[in-house]
Amino acid sequence: MSSTAAVAAHGAHAEPHALGFWRTYIFSEDHKMIGKQFLFMALFMMSIGGLMAMLMRWELAWPETQVPGFGWVPEPFMYEGAIPPNTYNAMFTMHATIMIFFVVMPILVGCFGNFLIPLMIGARDMAFPKLNMLSFWTGAVAGVILLSSFFVTGGPAAAGWTSYAPLSAVPIYTGVDWGQNLWCISIIVLGASSLMGSINYITTIINMRTKGMYFFRLPLTIWSLFITAILLLLALPVLTTAIALLLFDRLGGTHFFLPAGGGEPLLWQHLFWFFGHPEVYIMILPAMGIASEVIATFSRKPIFGYRAMAYAMIAIAGLSWIVWGHHMFVSGMDPVLGSGFMITTMIIGVPSAIKTFNWLGTLYKGNIHYTAAMMNALAFVAMFVIGGMSGIWMACTPVDMYIHDTYFIVAHIHYVLFGGSLFGVFAGITYWYPKMFGRMMNETLGKIHFWITFVSFNCTFFPMHILGMAGHMRRIYNPQQYDFLKPIIPINEFISISAFVLGAAQFLLLANIIWSYFKGAKATENPWYANTLEWTTPSPPPHGNWPGPVPIVYRGPYEYSSPGVAEDYLPQSQLLEHSTGAANKRTH
Amino acid sequence: MAPRMTASTAKILPLVAPIRRIRSSGSSAGGDQSERPFISSAMLAIMMLIASEMMLFSGLIGSFLIFRLQAAFWPPPALPRLPIAVTWVNTFVLLSSALTMTLALRAAHRSRQRLLRRYLLATLALGVTFLAVQGSEWVRLVAHGLKLSSGVYGGTFYLLIGCHGAHVTAGVIWLACVAMAAMGGRYNARNAGGIEVCAVYWYFVCAVWPLLFGLVYLM
Amino acid sequence: MLEHMYFPHDISTFGPQIDRLFLLIFWLVLVVWTAVMITMVVFMIRYRARPGRKAEYIEGNSRLEIIWTTATAAILIVLAFMSRSTWADIKEHGPPGDVFYAVTGKQFNWEFTYPGPDGKLGTKDDIIVENELHVPVNKVVRIDLTSKDVIHSFYLPNMRLRQDAVPGRIIHVWFEATETGQYEIPCSQLCGFGHSGMKGNLTVQSQEDFDKWLKDLYANPPAPPSATEGASPK
Repeated sequence: MSSTAAVAAHGAHAEPHALGFWRTYIFSEDHKMIGKQFLFMALFMMSIGGLMAMLMRWELAWPETQVPGFGWVPEPFMYEGAIPPNTYNAMFTMHATIMIFFVVMPILVGCFGNFLIPLMIGARDMAFPKLNMLSFWTGAVAGVILLSSFFVTGGPAAAGWTSYAPLSAVPIYTGVDWGQNLWCISIIVLGASSLMGSINYITTIINMRTKGMYFFRLPLTIWSLFITAILLLLALPVLTTAIALLLFDRLGGTHFFLPAGGGEPLLWQHLFWFFGHPEVYIMILPAMGIASEVIATFSRKPIFGYRAMAYAMIAIAGLSWIVWGHHMFVSGMDPVLGSGFMITTMIIGVPSAIKTFNWLGTLYKGNIHYTAAMMNALAFVAMFVIGGMSGIWMACTPVDMYIHDTYFIVAHIHYVLFGGSLFGVFAGITYWYPKMFGRMMNETLGKIHFWITFVSFNCTFFPMHILGMAGHMRRIYNPQQYDFLKPIIPINEFISISAFVLGAAQFLLLANIIWSYFKGAKATENPWYANTLEWTTPSPPPHGNWPGPVPIVYRGPYEYSSPGVAEDYLPQSQLLEHSTGAANKRTH
Repeated sequence: MAPRMTASTAKILPLVAPIRRIRSSGSSAGGDQSERPFISSAMLAIMMLIASEMMLFSGLIGSFLIFRLQAAFWPPPALPRLPIAVTWVNTFVLLSSALTMTLALRAAHRSRQRLLRRYLLATLALGVTFLAVQGSEWVRLVAHGLKLSSGVYGGTFYLLIGCHGAHVTAGVIWLACVAMAAMGGRYNARNAGGIEVCAVYWYFVCAVWPLLFGLVYLM
Repeated sequence: MLEHMYFPHDISTFGPQIDRLFLLIFWLVLVVWTAVMITMVVFMIRYRARPGRKAEYIEGNSRLEIIWTTATAAILIVLAFMSRSTWADIKEHGPPGDVFYAVTGKQFNWEFTYPGPDGKLGTKDDIIVENELHVPVNKVVRIDLTSKDVIHSFYLPNMRLRQDAVPGRIIHVWFEATETGQYEIPCSQLCGFGHSGMKGNLTVQSQEDFDKWLKDLYANPPAPPSATEGASPK
């Protein structure tokens, strides 16, 4: 192995860090520790959100029967293990809220954003480390507030994660009082956390890039996080507005969403989805960035169309502001407006397609290494294609009239969010685990986890398309109450069994993370022979990220198999002695 | 790295204090000495905060417009009118505070300590006056029967104006901190970052007001 | 074809148009998906890592980018305009109505308001029946849809029709049934703990049967539902 960094770390004397337990692990200002904190918080929340999903699947396959092993849950949450309707409503509400706000966002944005941005752009830390610490702890408080709502009278919020008013605006409509208030407060607090995070990310990426790290030399992961941070910065305040109005309706006696006092129920939906659609891309863009990183590295090839990839992400971010109405085709919105939103929604499919074709192009004539990370990244692409294309049915207004609010939608969002974002997360964890913890993850266990997850994921969510085509409404707790849904009872049972396998398989991931932390092989500086800057420092990197000076960047991030060098990779920071060749000048 | 902002902003804005130089022992060949950023990190952060706040106000104003344009009568017949004359004066008060802020900034850039203090205190006084007038008008309105629960008319009024009031309050507290630092002679021509950042926020607070005034009081 | 894909039996006039669009997208997606997957799998096998091999250094291809961008955009926009005409047929210029009802959602029932013997809606002799909707076959039914409390969604799976019922506004929907029979009217928007199981029955009858049923209704009108039944805001 040749020296990976131009900046050889000679003479680097590690400064001892006597910060103590609390400053190192709990109230840390080090972006790497904060990233790990986000990761562990999200994994913890994921186990709760996953448990909700398992209980829901039991209910849908064997409605109104006792869930085995849950007899101990007190009334009125469960009756000797049987789930009452209000609990079911609370479960899907909390499942979605937890998975979206406390799992996917914290991992993709909180964990990878924090851990990777300074390391990949060549900075010692974030621009505002204290703000960064506060961002995590605000997020943790939001999580505690949300979880505490399980223990208040009336139970947690039960109006869906979309919390459509007036259902969510008046306590007697759902029978949930403080549960919904705590939900609102939790999301507002989380909004503050994300605001601090995104300000930090944007500032860091703009101001703290190392010498030579021009924007078009940034790894696509950083591009995606940069765009995501901008979306967060601008979208979350709109949600905060909506939730503030909702809280005033619930607590202050206003009538913003109640027609009785001159309010407008559809206003909630407009505000919510104006935030909600950028939010969808907040949850997929970083996964796209991670997939690009992993696919390029393990294909040993430059990413196909680097600039097209970056522009496509910018296009997605821009278009995501003008498509929110496609969530409201059957809400009673003006049909002409509906047509407008249909066209913009179709157009937003284009950049997504561009990205897919570019990933395929990256594989072409590559030298593909099938590591666990690569398998997850390829699964991301395949699943994202399905999730993306099932969106075409929904974009088409007349068809949406039939499949809206059915399991077709549930299938679509899980293909995008689980098949897309979570496979991206798995790829990212496996890929950067050596850098985070200094040890390699177990490849065999990783591959077993991948295959079980991949198969059971498709067995769980693909048949949901068929449920939707049969007209199966979402958010109903007993499908067997409907005659027209009788033929699909066996499908529901099949889905539930697959879902249990899928849920159980995630313990393998957890086991792998814990086992590898103690027993994994020691990771070298650059175990994947990758080009980006985080691989030019020891694993795990010391406080301050590089023992010596910060590396200087001479080229783009994906110079794999460059004809200028013998190896099949060429780190961004490596200065070639005879710079007459193209390799030094290539800037993408 | 943001080179110079450190000292000035650290005290005022402890949370956005730019990173300390973690290590300076390395050889000088690395990327640590990257060019001075085009715009300081603190300024960038405050501009993004303002962008975010703009979206917050857009959400509120959008909601207000939906109610306003749908309503047959505005204000609803039984409810009190808003105090327009007093608020015109108050608008003038707030806008002149933007002017004194500009003068304070200029004084800082010229290291004129006494002028700087005087203009900062003037800005602070104008901000407090604005808040006091708004507060007393609210008390009168509540007494006349305009409540938060008085339909969407009362609701939007208190929410929009209240949200702006909260921002002015935050700005006044920040200004007070800056003024105190100025008393200690912290700012001069080469070290005015703390004032600049605060001024940008104050301009934003002042700039939103005429819009809200026009929409909520005059329209 | 769609009947084999678990679609409920279609009995509306515009249903076939919607099903056709669904199928069109289905074939389009199937073709594209198959092509993408075959390409991907072929690449994955063909270009797997082997010792001594080096990947080819390809940074991209602008012509390809332009081709697949325009092709995708063209297909999607054509699709949007094809959908647009069906949408306009259903939503913007529907046929004039033969029968007129008002439908009100409330937690957790549907209230169907039939015009009384004077044949007009909104008069004193209107008759409210809970959860039972009778319509004559081959007649255009026009409905004024609203809700008393939260948002419900009026869903006729067999008609491919769905429309949210929003409190405070009246939304017009129409349909024309082409076959007689018994069908269900679920609520498809989460409306509270009784959302699951909130359903009405749709009976499509021949004109004679319908007239007979209506006569019976006029003769023995059901007691109007008590006002306190549905939850209402303070």
